Amino acid sequence: MIVSEIMTTKLVTVTPDDTLSHAANLLRQYQFHHLPVVRATTTVETLDSDQKSRKTLPVLEGLLTSQDIDMAASLGTWSSSDLLHQPWQERRVLEMMHRATVRVSPTTSVAAAAQILVERGLNGLPVVEYERTGQASQEDEGGTRAVLVGLITRSDLLMALARSLGAFEPGMQLTIPLPMGDLTPLAQLLLLASELRIQVRSIIAAPLEAGIPLAATVRLGTIHPAPLLVRLQEANIQYTFADLPGEGDSHV
Amino acid sequence: MSEVKASSRARLVYDPAELDYNFGPEHPMQPGRINALIDLLETCGLWRSTGADSRLPLRAATVEELSLAHTSDYIAAVQTLSTPGSSKAESDERQLLAIKYGFADGDTPALPRMHDVCAHIAGGSLVALSAVMGLPAGGAFSSEDERPLHVFHPGGGLHHAWAERASGFCVYNDISVAIANVLRASEAKILYIDFDAHHGDGVQRAFYDDPHVMTVSLHETGRYLFPGTGDVLELGNGLGRGYSVNVPLEPFTEDDSYTEAIESLLSPLVISFAPDVIVTEHGCDTHAWDPLTHLSLTLRGIQAQITLAHQLAHTYCQGRWVALGGGGYDLYRVVPRAWSMVWAEMSDQALPEHLPDAWVERWRPVWSSVEDQEAAAQQVMGKAPAPTNFPTSFQDRPEDFPAQPRRWSISRANRHTVSLVRHLLVPSSVRQAFPAARSQSPLAGLFDLLHLRGSATPSRSKTLETPAGALLLRDFCPPSLVERLTVDEGLHAFARLPAREHQLLLSIARRPDCALTLAHTPAGHIAGEVTLAPGDEWWEGLENVYEVAIEVSSNWRGFGVGRNLLAFALELDALEDIILYAMGLSWHWDTEGLGLNSYRYRELIARLFASQGFVEYPTTEPNVKMEPANIFLARVGKRVDQRVVSQFFNHLLSTPNLARL
Repeated sequence: MIVSEIMTTKLVTVTPDDTLSHAANLLRQYQFHHLPVVRATTTVETLDSDQKSRKTLPVLEGLLTSQDIDMAASLGTWSSSDLLHQPWQERRVLEMMHRATVRVSPTTSVAAAAQILVERGLNGLPVVEYERTGQASQEDEGGTRAVLVGLITRSDLLMALARSLGAFEPGMQLTIPLPMGDLTPLAQLLLLASELRIQVRSIIAAPLEAGIPLAATVRLGTIHPAPLLVRLQEANIQYTFADLPGEGDSHV
Repeated sequence: MSEVKASSRARLVYDPAELDYNFGPEHPMQPGRINALIDLLETCGLWRSTGADSRLPLRAATVEELSLAHTSDYIAAVQTLSTPGSSKAESDERQLLAIKYGFADGDTPALPRMHDVCAHIAGGSLVALSAVMGLPAGGAFSSEDERPLHVFHPGGGLHHAWAERASGFCVYNDISVAIANVLRASEAKILYIDFDAHHGDGVQRAFYDDPHVMTVSLHETGRYLFPGTGDVLELGNGLGRGYSVNVPLEPFTEDDSYTEAIESLLSPLVISFAPDVIVTEHGCDTHAWDPLTHLSLTLRGIQAQITLAHQLAHTYCQGRWVALGGGGYDLYRVVPRAWSMVWAEMSDQALPEHLPDAWVERWRPVWSSVEDQEAAAQQVMGKAPAPTNFPTSFQDRPEDFPAQPRRWSISRANRHTVSLVRHLLVPSSVRQAFPAARSQSPLAGLFDLLHLRGSATPSRSKTLETPAGALLLRDFCPPSLVERLTVDEGLHAFARLPAREHQLLLSIARRPDCALTLAHTPAGHIAGEVTLAPGDEWWEGLENVYEVAIEVSSNWRGFGVGRNLLAFALELDALEDIILYAMGLSWHWDTEGLGLNSYRYRELIARLFASQGFVEYPTTEPNVKMEPANIFLARVGKRVDQRVVSQFFNHLLSTPNLARL
């Protein structure tokens, strides 16, 4: 899985010159915690003939989080005795935002993005594509600029996890022990499911110990598993389905 | 037997066209079960297909009516798949459609004439609900007395279908179609109770953010079972938060634990939602013999569920009740008996003790032919083998149902689930009026406890002058006083209707372990209330912890009634010996009435309680954590034992044991 499959692309953004009160309103209205700060840049591209196309690209300037606003607000109350002090609501986004130097690209793997979020203690990362600019200007880094294409947050990762567990599709769950990491029972189960026209919503056989998966959890899109379970018993494949009372015949 | 003694205001919707909802001989859901039911009803003389006064004719739902609950591309796909394709290219295209819209698997294969048949079923439920609600779609009746009050549609209850997908044997969601059509034409509030062993996911999805429909589903937990959803924490979204109720029960729940769960939950939910009509889905796959599930009920538990539904409809909805069929895959031994019970209950007829011999002779052979398959299914699902006989009485014989080995721990887990649901979804003053069966507080006689130094009179009173007139404040109100008072129209935050609020106050007054303080006018209108009750199940094991709840009528706001009433109620000898807490849950607040947003309202509550020394505490208590606007306030008395205080604070931040759910 790569970042572009799970990132948020419908973004609410602010510009560096917006006020913090505008940003705080947006955060409250949409109930999220990250606002990418972008500056719209118009580029002119020359196509093969005389045609020219204009497009506006959001170039990433930084990231403003709800924490930054909390910080501004609490600093504001400290020095409120100072009459000349500007109230925090009127300060500009530019003053409080982060440069957001840690970024990922749409093709970064989700695993790498997750690792960055956890290791750096971040809650969200902007997803950017670097574009070569024709002429070098002052804000370019070596003739390229970072065009914002999305945002990936911890929520996106959690949703991706839930989705890959098949949680958004109706289905039932079956656990099959894989003795010594032998995948044959899983393979047989999948063949049977395909034969009985039962849809597979998700398969998890993650290694828990010493790199060997000892059990597979399969989510099947059926309300009526009995025919499949009969075939599994005939093929001598162990399974767990529901909490069976007392007898431990097929418990993992 | 020409005199079918059915109550004239109960009708049954049945049309032979519904029998074409048939996925083939190998499929677990067979139309034969409806046949067997109708045959049983007619053989027992409970209903006649020719009797115009107990039958409600159905019609197919139109595409327009269906489209209120289904997307138009889905309806178009169902229509396309209803006719056989001819060419090769066409069949490829059909295969794609089938995959996209949920017809590709063995559960819900595409059928010829599927659209037509399913539109009839959806139409049946639509007519049933519209007739009960008095809408034109339900047909014309000569007088209001002719209009049916209860309708049973055994062919309906296809609760798994999504707006854009077929799922779990269901193509069109007749329940969503019926409800959506009624909502379009009226401001009614509809309570849907799903007794099927599978979670009612389709209906919940359809109304997840709609506060006009409360969906309640009692089902076997989705840890393993289809469809996997239905956790307690699926509470609804947006405005609909607090209007989706899920009670995931353990496998092998059995009758007693099941009955306890429905009895302690449904009445408080109905009273707090105040619906205009109750729609119930009586999927009888909850039965121990059902090959698809593990709830292990007998007809005793199913009867309890049916009786309760009937009772709730009469107590709270002027009798308006629509019952639907649903799951139920022990086709001939369970379904006909269970659904006869629904009809008998609804039409106030008594069931005979024994099944008619003629009926048994007709259906026993049908069952025998599938007996082996059923036995195999029981075994692979991990259940004890069912007895291999065909029932001869309406009730189940207890000796056919050996007790489950882990009965105690299963009922305990269910109680935990139920108390969490009560806690999350039932407002505190309603909850206090419906104490959980087991937690009869040993602290009966709250008055003595709170008046350690023994006051002379059992209850005090005081006069409060307000710009709108004088109010009498009275604590420890006895039921005899509450009976005489009437409830002001503006007092409805918890029970929504003043009349019900009155009932609620009465039952609180009757409880020996609750204290009720009222503010009422000299003319006897109740303008405000403060209730004091022992902390509920969540605080189990903690001594001297009491919950305070307050409400002031919207007609009496702004006069300081709340503050004075609270101060008066808390003038207790024992105030410093106890811990008091109050919870503010934003979904119970009358923010519209006050024109405040929920954060301002929160502030208001915090200030009101702060005047009595309450302090806000952070807590992991699941209700309070649910919304940032919710608030938890507590007042710890100075003389409370330090050990109890630290227990209390530990409890506040303890991790709730949600992993089990």
